[in-house]
Amino acid sequence: MEFKLEAHRIVSISLGKIYNSRVQRGGIKLHKNLLVSLVLRSARQVYLSDPCPGLYLAGHPGTPAPPQQLGEPAAGPPAGWGEPPPPAARSAWPEPEPQPERPTVPEALRTGDAETAAAVTGTGDALQGGEGVAAEAAWRRVEGQRETAAGGAGGPAGGSDVFPEGPRAARRPCGCPPGDEDTLSAAPRMDCCRTPRPAGDQPPATPPVCPRKRGAAGVGGGPAGCPAPGSTPLKKPRRNLEEQSGGAAAAAAEEEEEMETGNVANLISIFGSSFSGLLRKSPGGGREEAEGEESGPEATEPGQICCDKPVLRDINPWSTAIVAF
Amino acid sequence: MLGPWCSPTGSPAPLSCETGCREGSWILVCRLLVPTQVSLLSMEEDIDTRKINNSFLRDHSYATEADIISTVEFNHTGELLATGDKGGRVVIFQREQESKNQVHRRGEYNVYSTFQSHEPEFDYLKSLEIEEKINKIRWLPQQNAAYFLLSTNDKTVKLWKVSERDKRPEGYNLKDEEGRLRDPATITTLRVPVLRPMDLMVEATPRRVFANAHTYHINSISVNSDYETYMSADDLRINLWNFEITNQSFNIVDIKPANMEELTEVITAAEFHPHHCNTFVYSSSKGTIRLCDMRASALCDRHTKFFEEPEDPSNRSFFSEIISSISDVKFSHSGRYIMTRDYLTVKVWDLNMENRPIETYQVHDYLRSKLCSLYENDCIFDKFECVWNGSDSVIMTGSYNNFFRMFDRNTKRDVTLEASRENSKPRAILKPRKVCVGGKRRKDEISVDSLDFSKKILHTAWHPSENIIAVAATNNLYIFQDKVN
Repeated sequence: MEFKLEAHRIVSISLGKIYNSRVQRGGIKLHKNLLVSLVLRSARQVYLSDPCPGLYLAGHPGTPAPPQQLGEPAAGPPAGWGEPPPPAARSAWPEPEPQPERPTVPEALRTGDAETAAAVTGTGDALQGGEGVAAEAAWRRVEGQRETAAGGAGGPAGGSDVFPEGPRAARRPCGCPPGDEDTLSAAPRMDCCRTPRPAGDQPPATPPVCPRKRGAAGVGGGPAGCPAPGSTPLKKPRRNLEEQSGGAAAAAAEEEEEMETGNVANLISIFGSSFSGLLRKSPGGGREEAEGEESGPEATEPGQICCDKPVLRDINPWSTAIVAF
Repeated sequence: MLGPWCSPTGSPAPLSCETGCREGSWILVCRLLVPTQVSLLSMEEDIDTRKINNSFLRDHSYATEADIISTVEFNHTGELLATGDKGGRVVIFQREQESKNQVHRRGEYNVYSTFQSHEPEFDYLKSLEIEEKINKIRWLPQQNAAYFLLSTNDKTVKLWKVSERDKRPEGYNLKDEEGRLRDPATITTLRVPVLRPMDLMVEATPRRVFANAHTYHINSISVNSDYETYMSADDLRINLWNFEITNQSFNIVDIKPANMEELTEVITAAEFHPHHCNTFVYSSSKGTIRLCDMRASALCDRHTKFFEEPEDPSNRSFFSEIISSISDVKFSHSGRYIMTRDYLTVKVWDLNMENRPIETYQVHDYLRSKLCSLYENDCIFDKFECVWNGSDSVIMTGSYNNFFRMFDRNTKRDVTLEASRENSKPRAILKPRKVCVGGKRRKDEISVDSLDFSKKILHTAWHPSENIIAVAATNNLYIFQDKVN
């Protein structure tokens, strides 16, 4: 369970970085975006492999307010951003517990949550200045591959060396002793990875009422609908963006939520020039389809496009994250 | 010939590169600000003629982003030290000449030349702004009275000539002293112009501009040992240039996949072998290093050697890939070893052994549990550099909180030092620092949670033959030297 939340949060952060890289000076940095996409992939693997089916069903929040340029009106912030971080997460940089046998990531999970509370306003700007790519085009693409990717096998060609690691990462993102997929039951894993989580964590299965939930949609619905405590610390910087995204965009995005393999043209028309630099080649939706589309990235040699592909195929179609940005 | 250069008592110190890690042996020589006004700290206890220092000793608690130093490099003799900053400027410092009167002024560096190397550009075709930040500076060996260096931003490499002018011609026939043309009718005699001394002027002129060869962001340049060619590396390609030819370059490495969706790694750094002009290495974001021989083929996509250490599965996390990305690779002066820096470690590899490094040094392993937070605030993407000392016995790299670390490869001792304004008294001896990773914190220790992650030492340089180091901390340049008793 905690994996899912943490993974969700990491995905949100990663998408934010990718999105913000669009506005960063100097153009999109291929190296950083590649690294972010790798993190996305790992997080998504964890998310998809964590056996908590309830999350998928819990309150499909509906409309993702799509990423907007900072000047545009917002549809409303997604759920997932409405809750304050758990009280235990307030302290920044808690002293690391002397648990040498504990895996490192749970430590990171806890401190990460705590840290975000403290560092978020600072990082909010950092995230603004981060890096990114068209998020919804990104998750359009991934939508089409989710089935293949979910199994952790194959996926986009060339990603195979990472995907086998994916499930492994999913199993042991926190460095828990490697166990067989079958034998690794939920209990011990949660044991070893739950400790860092404060007791005050609310179960994601019951999305708390939040006035700003409207715009959210979750991948698989669930966690987006329920404000992941881990993700909320970022609500402050995100809220500005959320409030600025357009209602029309939200409506259109809601449409797309239904469509598994998106219609990029819709998005393009909505976002217009926001993505002209990234999707200049084929606004007609060729991008999300063509797995092996070469003409696009090849012809549009510019550095800003070249990083789309590896990033796009990893972006999880989680609308909350997208809405936030 | 080298006078006493660190001991106030004046007794000559043997020139040695063997030190480095003894406690209490590093002292601050000077702290240089590289803003629009350069100020120097007076190193003298007594009042000195350099009174400008006091008036400039403002507390620069803020730094404009353009002043942030982005690269530091000594030239081949160590006489000059070049810095590049985010604003596209290059500032060159020159070592103070030794003088009998002020023996311990030797070792200080003063501003020699400042020039704007790169300007912000806008690529209209791609709607991309090209940053003017200087990513790397590399000196050419000196072959005449002038100095040459290469400086690069994301897209364009420039060759600069830095020369001194201390004479000017006077007595032209057709021009008067102000340079205005004279009416030929007024000229009744002819004279030969003569060179008269003038105040020393250092001028920098761009001699070559190597542009339009890189689609992606240039991360490295490296001068070949033949001194005729150099290479520039971006995320996916490495190009070989001849210094004389600016309108074409040879592509020697291309790792761009036919389908960009298959992209899994990028080039992060590249360097020529110090002696073999056909050999170079490049590092990748996957933590691997490839050594290539240009004699093997024109396009060195197939490596000659491949250095990779198997990953430790127990350390796997979401961020394993990020922290294994190599941010810097440097040949040792001997050419026998390469050193690589990834986020948490520095590794030394023997060129003859590809399957694992021969030495691994933990720079700040206490950050391993903080990776998620460091990911959020983007610190995990910081690209630290690493340097060898002149004798390849000590390696140095930076960390956070303005800490930098030195590792003595022979004694296996290491030291953490801090480049901070608080320690900026002249000749102040650097006190070793220690980070407390848990449990009881001792008096002098700093806890991990108190580290300031906005103060990072990414760029350092070590004098090629002496124990003098330059450490860039945001917009400050610290120069330390080893005080040999």
